[in-house]
Amino acid sequence: MSLNNLNRKQTLDIAMVLGKVLLKSGAETSRVEDTIERFCNKNHCYGVNVFVTPTVIVLGDEEPDGYSCVSRIRSRSTNLQIVSEVNDFMYNLDKWELDYQETMDFFNGKLTEKPPYNDKLICIASGLASAGFSGMLGGNSHDFIAAFVTGFVAMLVLKLLGGFRPSAFWENALAGASIAAVAIMCCAVSVQCTMDKIIVGAVMPFVPGVAFTNGLRDYMAGDLVSGNSRVAEAVLFATSIAIGLAFVLQAWHKWGWNLW
Amino acid sequence: MVMGLYESFVYSFLATIAFAALFQAPKRTLIISGVIGAIGWVVFVYLRQHLEYNSFHSNFIATMALALVCELSARIFKQPATVFLIPGIIPLVPGLGMYQGMKQIIEKSFGDGVNILLTAGTDAAAIALGIMFTASIFRVLKISATKKFWNK
Repeated sequence: MSLNNLNRKQTLDIAMVLGKVLLKSGAETSRVEDTIERFCNKNHCYGVNVFVTPTVIVLGDEEPDGYSCVSRIRSRSTNLQIVSEVNDFMYNLDKWELDYQETMDFFNGKLTEKPPYNDKLICIASGLASAGFSGMLGGNSHDFIAAFVTGFVAMLVLKLLGGFRPSAFWENALAGASIAAVAIMCCAVSVQCTMDKIIVGAVMPFVPGVAFTNGLRDYMAGDLVSGNSRVAEAVLFATSIAIGLAFVLQAWHKWGWNLW
Repeated sequence: MVMGLYESFVYSFLATIAFAALFQAPKRTLIISGVIGAIGWVVFVYLRQHLEYNSFHSNFIATMALALVCELSARIFKQPATVFLIPGIIPLVPGLGMYQGMKQIIEKSFGDGVNILLTAGTDAAAIALGIMFTASIFRVLKISATKKFWNK
């Protein structure tokens, strides 16, 4: 069995699921559109129009009595493993062994599958990233260790509070607040730490640099709507993390040890 | 302050690997992503701090170097280029600039804030341009090499 003789509805179904999996894993919109279009054309389903923004996939054909499906994407994360798997699937389409129903189940399973790195590893990676960045930006060895602790704790706080499903704004503000708090503690423990270098390292896992750059890439590729939404998202995240940090830092500057 | 190149290589290698794990990259690509990110950052540090190019140019050239290695390793390891590119540009992307600009604005120094934000914008544009440039070169090469297959 393979995916050779799909009818139009089945093709669009699989294309939709592919798009959903890709978009939820944080692929660029142009990649999602390209994948869907190539899959449809490969199964002799021509004239399909697809419009993807970071929050919605619209897929339909140009005929008045054609199909049209809309999928709303509410939560996105970055999962390059899945992007890579879907890419493999597209390249080895001729050798694919599952039939229509099994393929649908396979990709629907991907939507709920656990990512390859668990929360513990993610926290350690966040700490390591923070430490690396504080070193890259000129911190000393004390800053390196302090940034590791700060990045680790900030990600830990996010993961612990993740069950409450805070909105992205509050999530980042919380991360910023915990970074500031831990950085202040580290500076109280060791005099050789410089607060700036610790904070600069520890915010790196949360700042939206990649989102901003991808937004500009979308602009240049002509996807104006998704460019707009990615840039807006980046500005929002940068604001929220700055608010969280500035709140704690200013409280500290104003009252200092009197807070205890 | 001028950073040593070896030092920058080690730190950015670490940071990029950690970020690749944060982005859930496939396990066998971690080391390669680390090397790619480190290459980008070392080129950037060399141009920006040793030769004192301006920020736009150093970002642009560093991204082109990095994207070249990305596209090559994408072909060698049969992965989409994004898997290497997203962690690889991490040391260069101006996330820090955006955060600092927003922080200045919150603290009511609007001039500094807008200044930093706009610099972050041009840096991001330089990176995006560098990626597009390399990607389109590879696309042209690929199309001209496989034209027979497409027309079959």
